[in-house]
Amino acid sequence: MGTIRIENHEIPFREGDNILKTALAAGMEIPYFCYHTALGSLGACRLCAVEITPKDPGKAPQVVMACLEPARGGIEVSISSAAAQQVRQKVIEFLMTNHPHDCPVCDEGGECHLQEMTVACGPPYRRYRGRKRTFTNQYLGPLVHHEMNRCITCYRCTRFYQDYALGDDLGAMRLRNEVYFGRFQDGPLASPFAGNLVEICPTGVFTDAVFRQHFARVWDLKTAPSICPHCSIGCNTLPGARDGMLRRVRNRFHPDLNRWFICDRGRYGHQYSEHPARPLTSRVDGAKVSYRQALAAAAEQIKAVGDKTGGLGSVREDLEGNTLLRALLNGFNGIFTAFSDPRLEAATITAVTALQNTTGAPSLAEMEQADAALIVGDLTAHAPMIDLALRQAYRSGARLAVLHSGPTPLARFAATALAIPPHEMSVCLSHLSERAAAPSAANSNQKEMLANIVVSLTASHRPLLIGVTETLSASQIAVLAQLAAALGPGARLAYALPGANAYGAALLSQTGRATAMLEAIETGHIQNLIVAGNDPLGDTRLGARWRAARQRLDSLIVLDCVATATAEAADILIPVAAWAERSGTFVNYEGRAQGFTHTFRRPEFLPSTAEVIADLARHLELVLPDIAAALGDTFPGYQAPVPGAPGSPLPAPAIPMHIDTTIHQGCESHPGRWQAALSTWYGDDPLASFAPALTELVPAVAALISPAAALNEGIKAGERVRLQGPAGTVVLPVQPDNDVAAGTIALTRAVLAQLGAGHGDPLELEKVS
Amino acid sequence: MNDKLDRQALQRHLDQLPPMHPERRAAAVPMMQALQIEHGCLDDAAVEEVAHLTGLSVTEIDELATFYSLIYRRPAGRHVLRICDSVCCSLRGADRLLIAAENYSGVPLGKISPDGAFSILPSICLGLCDQAPAALVGDEAVGPLDEASLEALLQRLREED
Repeated sequence: MGTIRIENHEIPFREGDNILKTALAAGMEIPYFCYHTALGSLGACRLCAVEITPKDPGKAPQVVMACLEPARGGIEVSISSAAAQQVRQKVIEFLMTNHPHDCPVCDEGGECHLQEMTVACGPPYRRYRGRKRTFTNQYLGPLVHHEMNRCITCYRCTRFYQDYALGDDLGAMRLRNEVYFGRFQDGPLASPFAGNLVEICPTGVFTDAVFRQHFARVWDLKTAPSICPHCSIGCNTLPGARDGMLRRVRNRFHPDLNRWFICDRGRYGHQYSEHPARPLTSRVDGAKVSYRQALAAAAEQIKAVGDKTGGLGSVREDLEGNTLLRALLNGFNGIFTAFSDPRLEAATITAVTALQNTTGAPSLAEMEQADAALIVGDLTAHAPMIDLALRQAYRSGARLAVLHSGPTPLARFAATALAIPPHEMSVCLSHLSERAAAPSAANSNQKEMLANIVVSLTASHRPLLIGVTETLSASQIAVLAQLAAALGPGARLAYALPGANAYGAALLSQTGRATAMLEAIETGHIQNLIVAGNDPLGDTRLGARWRAARQRLDSLIVLDCVATATAEAADILIPVAAWAERSGTFVNYEGRAQGFTHTFRRPEFLPSTAEVIADLARHLELVLPDIAAALGDTFPGYQAPVPGAPGSPLPAPAIPMHIDTTIHQGCESHPGRWQAALSTWYGDDPLASFAPALTELVPAVAALISPAAALNEGIKAGERVRLQGPAGTVVLPVQPDNDVAAGTIALTRAVLAQLGAGHGDPLELEKVS
Repeated sequence: MNDKLDRQALQRHLDQLPPMHPERRAAAVPMMQALQIEHGCLDDAAVEEVAHLTGLSVTEIDELATFYSLIYRRPAGRHVLRICDSVCCSLRGADRLLIAAENYSGVPLGKISPDGAFSILPSICLGLCDQAPAALVGDEAVGPLDEASLEALLQRLREED
C-alpha cells in the first residue's frame, strides 16, 4: 500500500487498484461512464481523463484514462488541469453528437448519468447540426424498454448481462458508430437479472417498462429504505411511490448482500400491491364493512368459541405480525404456526436449527468467494440472488456441483450436475456425507460422480453447501448439515428458505404444530382460524385437505394484502398494508433482522398485521404486550433494526440440533413409478404471481420428463399425458428435458396444487390417445 | 470455395470445419462465409445453424456476423459493389462515383437494384489506395474508376446475368 497525490491530497491506494478506483474510494470525484465497481475498467468512454505528472522531472505531464492507469507512488494526478478538462469536454461533445435532444420525454431524465456528466463537464451548447444516427428499437419483453438512439457505447449493458450475469441473449452487434446493443431477434430478455440493465445503463437506452406505464419523475417519487419481500435473501430495495400508488422498485446498496443488483422478481414483483383484485376494504360474509365492524365481528367469533381458536402466520408476514399473532394465541392457549404444510414446517425449522448450530449462513459477498459449492435444488427459482452470487464464484474458478430433480439454470455452469429423483436424494446426500467422513471405493457411475463432488469439496479452501428448503425434507436438510460438519470448520452452509421472513417464522413455530392444527380443525377442536398472510387453501400439497377442513370451521378470519384462495374464502377479511405501506422487520436466510419502513400510505385505511392483531386484542379485552415488548419477550435482547442500516443478527436462543436420519429411509422404499418434482421459475412466489408484467413471462405449462423416459414410454414431445395425483387429474403436453431425473415429472406449482402432490410425491402417468 | 455446393456437399464442408480448428468456435467465420456463398447472405436460419455447429450462442454468432462488413445479414443483389469512400478515394472522386452508382441503380445505397442485379455499398478503405478511387466487385478489385467506367462496369454486370 502506497500513497498517490491526487489534487494535492495524499491518498492511500491498494496495489493493483487504478487511479479512478483510488480516487472514488477517497470520495474524490472523477467523471466516468463505463467504469463500474462490479464490472471493472474498460476504457470505452474516455471520460475519466486526468493529467498525471511523473516523478521524473524530465518527463512531460500526460493525459491518461484514470480507470486504466494503475495507481503508483510518486505520481501527481490532476483532475482539474486544463488539459484533462478539455479532453472530458470534447468527449461529452462527441457523445452528444448522436444523442437525441429528448431529455424531456426520456424516462431517465433527472437521474441520468449522461445528463449529469454533460452538465458537469460538457460544453454548454451543441455545435453539431448534422443528421443523427438512428436505430430501430427492439421489443425486449414486458420488463425492459429499449431506446437505442440514446446509446453512448459504454458497453456496461453487455458487460453486466454477458460477463457478470452470464446471460447469452443480449449482445453488442455491428461496429464503429453503429454499435447496437440488442438481441438476435425481438423477444423477452431471458436473464432473471435483466432488470438491472435499467440501472446499469448510464442513460436512457434501457428503462423500466413497468414504471413507464405509470411514470413519475424521480423528484416526484416518495422513497424510503426497504427490504425485498419476495424471497429469503433480504435484498435492500428502494421503492418509489407517488399519489398513493407504488410505481417502481430499485436496488439499494447493501455491502454484504445484494450490493448493486437485484433480481427481476424483486424489481417487478411489487406490482402485486397494485393488482386490481387486491382487497382494500374489510368484508364480513362477503359484505363490505368498515374496519371497526370487521374487528368487532372477528372478536365476537373468537369470544363465541373461546379457546378453540388457531393462528396461522406466514413466512412472508413480518416478524412483528407473526410474533403478535403468536402472543394473541398464547393468550387463550391456541395453536400457532407459520406453516400450512407440515413438511415445509419441519424442513424450515430444521434448516434454521442447523444454521444456528454452525457459524451461520454466509452473506452473498462471502458466497462469491467460495471455491467449490454443492447446490441441492433449483436456486434460480428459490433465491435468484444466490444464483447470481454463485455465477460470480464460477467466474472466479469455483467448481460447482448441482444435485437437482428438475431443470435448473445453474446446471449449465456446473462441473458436475446430477439429475436425481426426489426419492433418491436422501440416499445421495447420505452417501456424500458418509464419503466425506470416510472415503470408500465407488461402485457405480453415479457414485463415482458423487465421489468426485466430495473430492472437490474436500480439496477446496472455502467450500459452500446450499440447499433449497422447499424441495428438501427435514432429514435431507439435516444430512446436508452433517456433510458441512464433516468437511471441517472452513465449510459454510446455507439454505434458500421459503419466504422473506421464513427464518423468523421458523423461530416462532414448532415442528408438528401444522399437523396438530390441521387435525384439530378436522376434529372440531379448532373452530375459528385466524390466517395472517398465508394461503392454506391454495397450498400446493395440502390445499384439498385444507379446503375440506375449512368446511368444519365456524369462522375463517383472514388478514392479507393479496386475493389468495384463502382470502376469497374468508368469512371475515381484513385487508392489511403491503410491505411498502408499512414498517416491519424481515429476518433473512442468514438470520439477519432488517427493518423496513413505509414508503407511502394509500388513501384507504390499511393497518399492518401487527396493528390489526393489537386492535383485535383490545376488542377481546385481552392484555397483549405491545410489539416491542412481545419481540423482547420472544427474542431476549432484541432491538428493532433501523431501516436503512445493514441489519443485525436476530438474538435467538440456540436450539440443540437433533438429527434424525432414519425418517427418510421409510419413504425411500416405495417411490412408485413416477414422482412429482417442483419445477418453478425465478418470478414465482405467492406475491409476485399477482404482478402482471412478470407473469407474462411464466414458462409454458408442460409435463417435463427426461428424454430417456419419454422414449421408454413411447411419448413424443407435445403429446399429451394424463397425470393423476391424490387430489385430481390434469392433462398436459409432454416436454422432454435433459435436466429432469429418471422417473420424475417436473411440474409447476399450479399443476401440483391441482394434483394435490408435493415435491417427491408419487403420481400416475397415462398417455392420452 | 466460391462455387455453390449442393446441400450435402455444403453440410460435409460445414462438418469438417470445426475439427480443422483447434478452437471449435474459430470455425464460425469460415462457416458463415460458406453459408453466405450458398444463400447470398447470412439469414437468421443460417445464424442458428452456425450457432448449432459451433456450440456458440446465436447472440455470439450474430455479434460476429454483424461485426464483419463482408458478411451480409440482409439479402444483397447478385453482385455487390463496394465503393471505397476513405481518404485517398474520397480525394480522387469517390463521392461522385457513389452518386453516379446511385443514379444508375435507381435505388439508395445499400438497397438492391429493382432487377436484383446489384447492391452498391460505400466501404471503408479497401487497401487499394494505389488504384484510387477503387471498388470491389464481389472478390475482384477494380480501379481507378470514373463515372463512365463505373457505368460500363455496372452495365457489364447487369448483362452478365
